[in-house]
Amino acid sequence: MRAKLETVLQTVNHVLLGKEPQVRLALTCLLAQGHLLIEDLPGMGKTTLSHALAKVLGLSFQRIQFTSDLLPGDILGTSVFDKDTGQFVFHPGPIFAELVLADEINRATPKSQSALLEAMEEGQVTIEGATRPLPEPFFVIATQNPVSQGGTFALPESQLDRFLMRLSLGYPGKAAEKALLLGESRRSLLPTLPALLDHAELALIQAEVPKVRASDALVNYVLRLVDATRTQPQFAWGLSPRASLALLAAARAWAFLAGRDYVIPEDVQAVLPSVVGHRLRERADPAGHGAGSLVQWLLREVPAL
Amino acid sequence: MSRMTSIPRVSLTWLLVAQVLVIIPHLTHLPLWIIGLWLGSAAWRIQIFRMRARYPNAWAKGALMLAAAVGVFLSRGSLIGLDAGVVLLISAFVLKLLEMRTRRDALVLIFLGFFVVVTAYLFDDSMLMAFYSLLPVTALLAALIGLQQSSLAAQPWPTARLAGGLLLQALPVMVLLFVFFPRLGPLWSLPVPNDKATTGLSDSMAPADIAELSRSAALAFRASFNGTTPPRSELYWRALTLDRFDGRRWSQSDYAEFAPDAQWQKQGEALSYSIVMQPSAQRWLFALDVAQTNLAQTRQMSDFRLQRRQPVDRSLIYQVSSWPQALRELQPAQQTLRRALQLPAQGEPRSRAWAEQLKRDYPQPEQLVQALLNHFNREPYAYTLRPPTLGENNIDDFLFETRSGFCAHYAGAMTFVLRAAGIPARVVAGYQGGEFNPAGNYVQVRQFDAHAWVEYWQAEQGWVSVDPTFQVAPERIDMGLEEALAGEQSFLEDSPFSPLRYRNLSWLNELRMAWDNINYGWQRWVLGYQSEQQLEFLKRWLGRVDAQSLVLGLVGGGGLLLGLLALWLFKPWQRERDVQQRLFRRFEGLLARHGVVRQPGEGPRDYAARASQQLPAQAHAIADFAAAFEAQRYAGQVLSTGQLHQRLKALRRALPWRFTRAQP
Repeated sequence: MRAKLETVLQTVNHVLLGKEPQVRLALTCLLAQGHLLIEDLPGMGKTTLSHALAKVLGLSFQRIQFTSDLLPGDILGTSVFDKDTGQFVFHPGPIFAELVLADEINRATPKSQSALLEAMEEGQVTIEGATRPLPEPFFVIATQNPVSQGGTFALPESQLDRFLMRLSLGYPGKAAEKALLLGESRRSLLPTLPALLDHAELALIQAEVPKVRASDALVNYVLRLVDATRTQPQFAWGLSPRASLALLAAARAWAFLAGRDYVIPEDVQAVLPSVVGHRLRERADPAGHGAGSLVQWLLREVPAL
Repeated sequence: MSRMTSIPRVSLTWLLVAQVLVIIPHLTHLPLWIIGLWLGSAAWRIQIFRMRARYPNAWAKGALMLAAAVGVFLSRGSLIGLDAGVVLLISAFVLKLLEMRTRRDALVLIFLGFFVVVTAYLFDDSMLMAFYSLLPVTALLAALIGLQQSSLAAQPWPTARLAGGLLLQALPVMVLLFVFFPRLGPLWSLPVPNDKATTGLSDSMAPADIAELSRSAALAFRASFNGTTPPRSELYWRALTLDRFDGRRWSQSDYAEFAPDAQWQKQGEALSYSIVMQPSAQRWLFALDVAQTNLAQTRQMSDFRLQRRQPVDRSLIYQVSSWPQALRELQPAQQTLRRALQLPAQGEPRSRAWAEQLKRDYPQPEQLVQALLNHFNREPYAYTLRPPTLGENNIDDFLFETRSGFCAHYAGAMTFVLRAAGIPARVVAGYQGGEFNPAGNYVQVRQFDAHAWVEYWQAEQGWVSVDPTFQVAPERIDMGLEEALAGEQSFLEDSPFSPLRYRNLSWLNELRMAWDNINYGWQRWVLGYQSEQQLEFLKRWLGRVDAQSLVLGLVGGGGLLLGLLALWLFKPWQRERDVQQRLFRRFEGLLARHGVVRQPGEGPRDYAARASQQLPAQAHAIADFAAAFEAQRYAGQVLSTGQLHQRLKALRRALPWRFTRAQP
């Protein structure tokens, strides 16, 4: 099973060059059954990453391009009057897919954003009184442009909290970019990607992850981290219990991916920046860009033992 | 200049203030040019701080130093010795200001300042001085704190407040140390500064010496009696006897130094009292006749004076019991009597003739003495501190011509006549009377109470004291020098502002008495608290104590205190009870000694990896331990801690032995 996961990673890395850590974190996020937020400039490979992941994990894929005139109905689907039957027939929206790529989520109005985010949290949508379950498994990979860019509606903290991780891809390394320029188009590679896992296998893996052992000593470390965010003065607010659960779940998935059946502090540290980075804000920085230094502080100062 | 950081403003401010405060008490004995030197140096230093002036170069510094040394030599006549040493120290303390570039220099200056504060006690150890020295100490502490503060701090007051707070917190410790710290004997004996030893009795007496003393209101000693204080006419404080006369001066004979113990018989009631003596730089102590003391290293000499082995160079407390009615030396050695009859071979023909005449008229010694006293009483003798000058035969002149003088004249003349008449006699020098302080129930004796009287020897009665001055000016004995001199206004005429001159103002007098009482308490309980008093005090509270057990107790108590402090600081009960963790800490400590220090946020695996990289030779042992630790701590594998121990031991063997932490 783990060998397969390694193959998954390798395959995705083949498409998205030079982004091994981010790919591994993205897979970790999916294994931990969390949703992923990718924040980066346009053209950095956000779509490629999500598309490739959907492909190799054998998931149905839908992409929603968020724009400022997007309506909730465009995401969830609407009932359309069928002239033949004389009835309203529900036309499911793009959200009814196993892996949904919500592209540039912060370009849409808050109303449309929250339609997606409610679906993420509940695992079901309610349209015109009828509750419709979303497929199983269900992942959302949302991408957003950096908040400071024009035409963006920043996601409120309550909604950011729904994402297990926030990643940033960043510019590729020189070697990777050279290979990118010399090789064939990445997009053309996508259709050729094989589905490496089926639904049953994925379900099996997702069931395995929570069984990864988190010892007492390790949970204490997580508690120390969370406690530091709540007591130290530089934090505008502390981490919620949902965040500490997320941190442990992600660390478990990371450990599982590393082939271990127990979590060590390094696992927690590996996922910490992406799990808590978007949930923290520096007190001295109301605009909320400085969480990176807070995470670095946590990594450096909170005793790991 | 990155490491040699400059001196912050607050510190410089306090350092300058401290210098003023440190120097002020020395002003009484410093040459005045020191003030000029200080003003110049301070102004220069301030200009340096304001970047308006440069630091002096080596030539300027050398010239200043030389000038200061020459100045000290010119004003003190020497570069060594206490006085000159202190002046030299202070000029160095002032000049160092110009050399002060870095914090380190400022530290030197501050510690020098503390030392100068201490040297002030050599000149004045009164209570006022002790309290005053809290001021310069606070300022020096503030400068010390200011050194550690940011150069941006601009307000000097908070620093001083902190320093004052620190000093207050240190007070209990100070009191504890004062009470319990053993008094060690001085490693070297400090000479008494000149101005302390200028007044006081000396071992020879010419009338002018006593007149000199009469002008000084300096304190000689204080005495407090257990029980009622005797009337002042009975207070004849013996210091020493003078039995050699060279025609001009009475002096102590050499024999007095190695005389055997005095012989006497106790008789009558004993007086018991304690005396707190000011430093006199002499070895004799003051006591009423005939005295016995328990003071260590003190003997009663053959002329009944008490003498210490060391000169009294700081205040001394001693307990004395006196038997005023004791019989002294009923069978004296022949030499003693011979010495008490010694006279110059010639001179004073009229006095000798008169003595012969008296001897014929009064064959019994006591009759002769009485006749002599009657003579002083009846004839027109006058008591004055401004006697006319006497000629070659000064006793003749005094007895038959001028007939005015003070105690020294009368005692000298009477002793001379007695000796000429064949009665062994000698002059006793000491103090008479003293002022009773009702507030503290003690007698204070000042230098102007210095007195001389006569004792003569008679078979069956031994030595008998008589005071011819009493016949001439009984008010001198009954009421003191001031009354005796009421007519001529010569009492303390050199010191018009001495409060002693205004004793008739009752409120002022009461104030003076109360103040003196406080000072007496300071002398007795603080300055006088030396090793003997300390032992006695501790005995009263702790039962049997000797110096050894005191030291042991102190070391033990200090150890206990340090131990408690360490417990409180390190809190061993909060130590890791978790064995795995403790072993990991040891692992960490071991690697840290080889330069691999774990950061707090570093996980065990990362740390082991880093350590393996830095210590490739031991990588195997390191990885071994780390893996075992991880398995036990995080993977829930049940390994016994013994296995961890073993791996740790293996690692220790693999690493070269090192005791201290390596520099990373």
